Amino acid sequence: MMFRQFTALVMALTLCLSTVSCGTNSSKVTQSQQPTTNSTPAAVNNTPAIADGRYPVQQASYDDADGTYSLTLLNTPPGTPPLYRVSNLQMARLTNEQIAQGEKSFLEVKDNTPVLYLTEDFKIDYIHNVTETRENPQTGQTETVVVRQESNFWSPFAGALAGQAIGSLLFRPQYYVPPVYQPGGLRGFGGYGNTYDGAVQRYRTNYNTSPAAVRNRETFRTTGGLRRTPSTTVRQPAPSTGTKSTGSGYGTSRLRTGPGSSTTRPRSGFGTSPGVRRAPTRSFRRR
Amino acid sequence: MTSWLNRMSGRTRYMVCRIMIHLAGDEIAPLLGLLNEKGREAIDAEGDLQVLGEGLVEICQNLLQMNLYWFSVANEGDVLWKEEEAGNYVTELFTDSAQRYLSEPNYGKPVGENESFSIPITHNLVVMITIAATGETPALETSLGDREGLEDALKAIINLHYQGRLEAIQVQFSPAQFGDELTNDQLLLNFPELVPL
Repeated sequence: MMFRQFTALVMALTLCLSTVSCGTNSSKVTQSQQPTTNSTPAAVNNTPAIADGRYPVQQASYDDADGTYSLTLLNTPPGTPPLYRVSNLQMARLTNEQIAQGEKSFLEVKDNTPVLYLTEDFKIDYIHNVTETRENPQTGQTETVVVRQESNFWSPFAGALAGQAIGSLLFRPQYYVPPVYQPGGLRGFGGYGNTYDGAVQRYRTNYNTSPAAVRNRETFRTTGGLRRTPSTTVRQPAPSTGTKSTGSGYGTSRLRTGPGSSTTRPRSGFGTSPGVRRAPTRSFRRR
Repeated sequence: MTSWLNRMSGRTRYMVCRIMIHLAGDEIAPLLGLLNEKGREAIDAEGDLQVLGEGLVEICQNLLQMNLYWFSVANEGDVLWKEEEAGNYVTELFTDSAQRYLSEPNYGKPVGENESFSIPITHNLVVMITIAATGETPALETSLGDREGLEDALKAIINLHYQGRLEAIQVQFSPAQFGDELTNDQLLLNFPELVPL
């Protein structure tokens, strides 16, 4: 009886271990010209889900590097830290009745979905990341770099503007993106919607560009002569005799990158010749 | 098995792929104009992914119109369940694509006022498009070794932009501009994976 239980436990553990080990990367960094760091700040991981309930909010901040909210909550259940981080957060304004009754800002979690209910003058600390496009001297590729951070505030529901824009929708949970950053502080919002993407879309319609939290996650790279101002000298192009021709390229990625390189892991994917990297200076055996 | 587990735990499915299209013929040089134009627009927009997406749609539409000049193709890609892995793969593909050509311009000798000169028209052009997208895109997750498959793939990329599912876009091309050439030898040497359509 004991032996059977023991065997079952060992088998379960082995299954767990083998599933976990399938996910690890070997983190050998190759010598090639890979851009070394992803210069946009590493996005903060959301804290684990918090139990359903209502938690008064002591303080809230928003980081426009990636749109993460950090909330300091009161009365969290034992074992749950008071600091709560989440990327896409719905918000709603407290109704006049609630405010008259003395309600203060709180986070309500229902069915694992958090919604932040705020008074009309609640100030969210706004962390603004100032970015610049610079050329990486090692790779010759241009990258977006955060050069400094500025602290400011954002009152999403402050002022008559908020009320006029969307009327009674104000009191229903919605996704919001802040307005364009200005040093004097942010009031109101730049976009809203019942999905985060919808809020981002509205912002785009208003301002013709994506919100800071979206833009700051983008890393832009170029190669070749795209950035060079065209020369006014007429030149007779030299015949192409080298092993390589000329070329140019550009690209943007919103994806986070990590320290591990997956070059050494053979790819099993799809394609005309899957699993084989065919850069001319290296050779691989077909899997 | 692992993909089922990943789906059950609510993870995002990332698909990263690169398509290399080789065009050959006398009339392909104008496409270089479009590619450079989209590159400059991307720079002016400081890499706004939305702008790159619109540019990519135009490039794909032009490629579809130029299907007479499609000569050979190659594609590769993979499905990843971790954002960092997808991001790393995208970075690797950018660097790998960039190694197929020289970044330096072709510094020919300057031509005097009354001298005659000729601009060679390249007869080969390779366009490398790399994208990362969320969810499943069957038209891209296959071997694109035939014309129909490639047509479906380009259309799928256009749809991905309108669906807002693109997380990374890269466009690279060789040669760089009018007057530069990509010879057959250079083609074989730097793009060995191309298969004839």
